[in-house]
Amino acid sequence: MLKLNYIKNILKVSGILLILLQLSCVKYKKRENIVVASAGKIESLDPAQANTIRTLQILSALGDTLYKIDKEGNLSPSLAKDLPKVSNNGLSIDIRLKENITFHDGSIFNAEAMAFSLNRFREIGTLNYLLNEKVEDIEVKDEFTIRIKLKKPSSSLKSLLTSVNLTPVSPNSYSNYKGSFNNKNFIGTGPYFLESFNPSQQVIKPFKNYWGEKPLNKGIDFINYSNSSTLFGAIKTKEVDVLISNSIDDMQRLTLNNMVNKDQLKSGEGDPIEIGYITFKSNKPPLKNKSIRQALSYTIDRELMSQQVSFGTREPLRSIVPPQLHKKEFSPWPKYNPDIARSLLKKEGYCEKDILSIPLTFRSNVPADKLLALTWKDQIKRDLSDCIEISINGIESTTVYKQLSEGAFDAVILDWTGAYPDPEAYLTPLLSCSEIKNNSCLKGESVYSGSFWGDNKVQELLEKSEELEGENRLKNLIQVEQLAAQGSAYLPIWLVNPKAWSLTDISQPEFSRDGLIILKNLKRD
Amino acid sequence: MSSKKELFKYIFSRLTLLPIMLWIISSLVFILLRIAPGDPVDAILGTRATEIARENLRIKLGLDKPLINQYIEYLNQLIHGNLGISLNTEEPVKIIISKALPASLELAIFSIIIASLVGYLIGFLGAIKPEGKIDFWGRIFGIGTYALPPFWAAMLIQIIFAVLLGWLPIGGRLPPGAIPPPSITGFLILDSILDKNIEIIFSSIKHLILPSFTLGILLSGIFSRSLRLNLEEVLKKDYIEAAKSRGINDSRILVKHALPNTLLPILTITGLTVSSLIGGALLIEITFSWPGIALGLQEAINQRDYPVVQGIVVIISSLVVMISLGIDIAIAYIDPRVSY
Repeated sequence: MLKLNYIKNILKVSGILLILLQLSCVKYKKRENIVVASAGKIESLDPAQANTIRTLQILSALGDTLYKIDKEGNLSPSLAKDLPKVSNNGLSIDIRLKENITFHDGSIFNAEAMAFSLNRFREIGTLNYLLNEKVEDIEVKDEFTIRIKLKKPSSSLKSLLTSVNLTPVSPNSYSNYKGSFNNKNFIGTGPYFLESFNPSQQVIKPFKNYWGEKPLNKGIDFINYSNSSTLFGAIKTKEVDVLISNSIDDMQRLTLNNMVNKDQLKSGEGDPIEIGYITFKSNKPPLKNKSIRQALSYTIDRELMSQQVSFGTREPLRSIVPPQLHKKEFSPWPKYNPDIARSLLKKEGYCEKDILSIPLTFRSNVPADKLLALTWKDQIKRDLSDCIEISINGIESTTVYKQLSEGAFDAVILDWTGAYPDPEAYLTPLLSCSEIKNNSCLKGESVYSGSFWGDNKVQELLEKSEELEGENRLKNLIQVEQLAAQGSAYLPIWLVNPKAWSLTDISQPEFSRDGLIILKNLKRD
Repeated sequence: MSSKKELFKYIFSRLTLLPIMLWIISSLVFILLRIAPGDPVDAILGTRATEIARENLRIKLGLDKPLINQYIEYLNQLIHGNLGISLNTEEPVKIIISKALPASLELAIFSIIIASLVGYLIGFLGAIKPEGKIDFWGRIFGIGTYALPPFWAAMLIQIIFAVLLGWLPIGGRLPPGAIPPPSITGFLILDSILDKNIEIIFSSIKHLILPSFTLGILLSGIFSRSLRLNLEEVLKKDYIEAAKSRGINDSRILVKHALPNTLLPILTITGLTVSSLIGGALLIEITFSWPGIALGLQEAINQRDYPVVQGIVVIISSLVVMISLGIDIAIAYIDPRVSY
């Protein structure tokens, strides 16, 4: 009896405590700031160090770039006054800057500041090779004009100048950080300034003296959760206002999309910037044989993969450049056709006696990769079990990246996001090669991508494209992609669109052409 | 007197072994990290960086030096209490640990309290009435919670209590936008009490409930089973029978004679669980986005941030060794039969 009373008392006290906790803050107060959630921590806010979408996202609100890509896909000035002026020999570019722009610390934005930022990036930027490969020197021509001297003509440099990594920082505030990263602070010219920073939560507020269109909200709280389920739960429970799609599992994407269809959420989608593909190692048998690689390019049913892996949220892709960057539909890789695949393999002596064995590697920490590997394996078993056998093997991503250039994988599932919205940002990293022997790449990007595929004509066209502009350049790059499709060292699978979901009292998220949400346009309705 | 002397001798010998153990552990971590494919340069630059860029970063991070030089430098720094600087964030490892460790300790302490309350209560009630209803369901509870996969249980609890019922927050240590109190101890609840911030006190408790409850319930199975088995065994001993025959009432026998003799294994299990929780609650920390040391360790391993991994492992190892030493001392103090 006495024991029962004890238990009853304990339950009563626990009940009271729970009620108190519920009363304390069960309903989330009407927030002033908009809470935007994404996956993973932000370790550094230095544009010279930034290499994740979430970091670029916050930097895009804190800083400005010289140029932006407009809705039609053309270069448009942002901090620059007008379009860049290229010299006749193509080796020098003059950029005039807007005047009367101040940094968050009150100092003036001018050519000195821009040159300081670009040179700082060239010096310490983790992706500085993007600039250093093209740029010889950066000079201050006058107070509001900079001159970029190039090593050789480069038409892709203009697109590179839209990269958030090249956003200017205040020389006053970064004088102690010329040679090192300023991880926890950011002083730029953007529509917001940084109010507080820690790796799991960052608060930004509108910058009163911003030169451009002012933000439509009173500030943004960025929060970073460590997994997809928590992010999904956070928007369902209205703990956050906006959810960014990076690292949201496909199943949860589908549920969120269904909620949008029922008017329980709003959503916005940007142009696809991430491609998913399979790389074939083309310098060792059996995939050294071009016909076998070509046969494999007929074996994948992309529609089935998209449905099985992502419930159709990933768009099937038959090119290695997102279509919008070519400004027209262009799909040089062949459609799924097991009959053609079989006849090609028969010519190479498979299907009757021998079965082609392909070890396929996937990144074990990327759920979609594993599902793709399993689905493709089963699809091959269904359609071509007499010709091909796929064995799958999961390896953690850092190990995969390290071993790619060592030629460790016959076939490996990867993804790629261009550093800036231009076909060159997809083609060069996959296809460029500086030393080619018998269609094998010995030195260059193609080695780092794990394909080891080299083609002199492709290299020649890639180099020539740097001297071309406009339509001629695009035609040239389309030719590159056609040759890549014939080489079949890569097998494009799908496109991934950046997406965001917002609560119904928040405006629909809008995206810029580089796949980042335009945070200043978010507002409470 | 002589037993005290023995005890001090034992403590001294264990403390002398501590640096040796730490040296072995830190050397193993140092070697294993370098054997593992991928290095910080890959994690920071990705695969597309040029060889020049990679080499420059390698020099900057000191990874170009011969391995033996790196090892000697690392040990030298460690001896001087310097855990190094994160390759990724350039922040001192000491600071990274000082931010994450209190979060893990807070979670571990509350989980152990919940596990002890629930587990020992069930185990105790089961042992005093063997084969009764409570004992039956307690055994099912014990085996069930022990067998549950932690990530699955955590996600289920999160979905029910945070998403469907909306009673408790989904993750993190504070609500979005909340400004944490000034860090004095690093323990959020304690700091908010010291700051007299009522709203943050309640918010931080609310955020702690789901992860600590999940972890506590998962651990309570081991606690209930161990108490039940030990108590049952003790209750069959001759001296208990003798006490009963002397007419001493049941509750006095239980509290004065039986329970103290079950304390030793219980203390050992509780202590070892605390030490294993400090670095071992990874799945719970990931599920609830709890910014603890296990989550930090996982991120550092993914980024091949050598100094952070090494620093965290050394600190966790030290804590485990210190706690197990503390348990040994407590056992020796409680039970005079224990000799060393």
